Amino acid sequence: MTAAGTAPASPAAPGAAATSGPAPVAELRHVSKWYGDVVAVADLSFALWPGVTGLLGPNGAGKTTSLKALCGLLRPSQGEVRVFGRTLAGDSALYRSIGVVPDGDRLYPRLTVGSYVRLHADLQGLERPGAAAERAIGEVGMEALAERRLKGLSKGERQRTKVAGAIVHQPSLLVLDEPMTGMDPGQRAHFMDLVRVLGAAGVTVLVSSHILAEVERLASQVLVLVGGRLAAEGDYHAIRDLMEDQPRTVMVRADEPRRLAPGLIALPTTVAVEVDGEALQARTRSVAAFATALPRLAHDQDVSLREVRTTDESLEQVFRYLVRRR
Amino acid sequence: MTRSLALFRFSFAELLGGRFRRLLVVLLLVVVSLLLPALLNSASDPSDFMLGLFSNVVLPIALPVVSLVFSTAALGGELRDGTITNLVLKPLSRASILAVEYLSALVATLAVLLPALVAAQLLAAHGLGLAALLKGMLLATVLAAAAYCALGMALSLWASRALLIGLVYAVVWEGAVVGAAPAASSLSVRGYAEGVLDAILRGSGGPTLDARLGPVSATLLALIVTVGALALAVRRLARMDFR
Repeated sequence: MTAAGTAPASPAAPGAAATSGPAPVAELRHVSKWYGDVVAVADLSFALWPGVTGLLGPNGAGKTTSLKALCGLLRPSQGEVRVFGRTLAGDSALYRSIGVVPDGDRLYPRLTVGSYVRLHADLQGLERPGAAAERAIGEVGMEALAERRLKGLSKGERQRTKVAGAIVHQPSLLVLDEPMTGMDPGQRAHFMDLVRVLGAAGVTVLVSSHILAEVERLASQVLVLVGGRLAAEGDYHAIRDLMEDQPRTVMVRADEPRRLAPGLIALPTTVAVEVDGEALQARTRSVAAFATALPRLAHDQDVSLREVRTTDESLEQVFRYLVRRR
Repeated sequence: MTRSLALFRFSFAELLGGRFRRLLVVLLLVVVSLLLPALLNSASDPSDFMLGLFSNVVLPIALPVVSLVFSTAALGGELRDGTITNLVLKPLSRASILAVEYLSALVATLAVLLPALVAAQLLAAHGLGLAALLKGMLLATVLAAAAYCALGMALSLWASRALLIGLVYAVVWEGAVVGAAPAASSLSVRGYAEGVLDAILRGSGGPTLDARLGPVSATLLALIVTVGALALAVRRLARMDFR
């Protein structure tokens, strides 16, 4: 088990050793979820501690599936989800301490903002649901719109209403799936302040996004999902640095690859070169520099290239995602 | 209990005034189809007329339509709109959610049908009329509504066209098949209602039905269908993924 809350940055290793110390607030243990032949997430393990953790990844990476598995909306095909040390299946009392903003709209259009948040307070069985709803609406800055029907609100306003419903019972675990979708810059700033305050107050917040800048401003700790797998986790900046320094493997097939080796090893970003028959395998810190130099070298040495590909596919994707899109 | 009550209030309000408001037109037509003939009847005996109305309009049409509309909309609508996440992410077991949604659909069904039946009887008989008939109709309605609502609830968790499937069952199976082969009435909610009504009417001095099932077997079968459908629905909801 690896840790998102306190561990140093590292590319994720499936089944890595557990960290010692207090039990995590929530954890996924070797969770896989598939639909027929389609694997949404594979052998996913991570743990959450108090504070804000970002769940980062491109669209289709498995973020929503992971969040839904974490909060009990999806049953894992394999593996286990534990929240507060217990499994969610059949233990609905745990939802007294969990707040969730799921993906999609999922609102009742005829309700007003106030009645929607009040419904959440009532369903939580709070002692003073009216006061709790008012407080939550105030926290997301929706007081002026409390009497407005949800069907007439903008996307950003509806998102803030969902957040108010999720925090009305002051949960200690808050799961937010792309919560800033549709919010304008002012609303985003207000929302980020709220999440930071909750995190600082000891709430465990997991917030997903495919927008790097959002997560960078919200969470110092991140989980990076690529292709349904945990590709990296830990401190956001450390992951970026790590990815920049992490050598990646490039496989080259050519008629006489041995003639390319001296030129490639002379590149400052090349770590190692191995030649085996018609295959050359190079470890490089810059695929871009390698890709620029290789055709020139092949031309100079009169070598015909047949195939060039990176073999660390997921790492390459993470690298592109974390570094090149900035 | 507080949470279940809150869910019941919300679900009931949604059924009668919320997202399914357009369905109220259908329900209004059902009520009018009961009241208008009763108001206009002046030729036949009030008890004969009301039994005919109940047998030919309420049992084959109004009861299944109203019950299935509400019961398939209760959880089915939440599933279709994705709003069910608002309910399952709360400290309520999925069995409780299903039970409350079932009760709200059943109460909404009875809130439409029972007053309409009483009003039709009052209009047709220019008074209370034959008490046994009214009692029989009300009991049969409650029993059949309970079974139809359970079936509708279960269907809505398996099929996106639950209402259509339910209506096909009511029209094709209960209408055509049971009509052609009366022995099949042991698998017909309408048959259970007729069994209960017939038992209450016998000895009342009023009109009678020719029901295939006795009161005990009719009641037992209705209970088995209701409990069985609800058990299947609970099992389905408990294992359901919400994508």
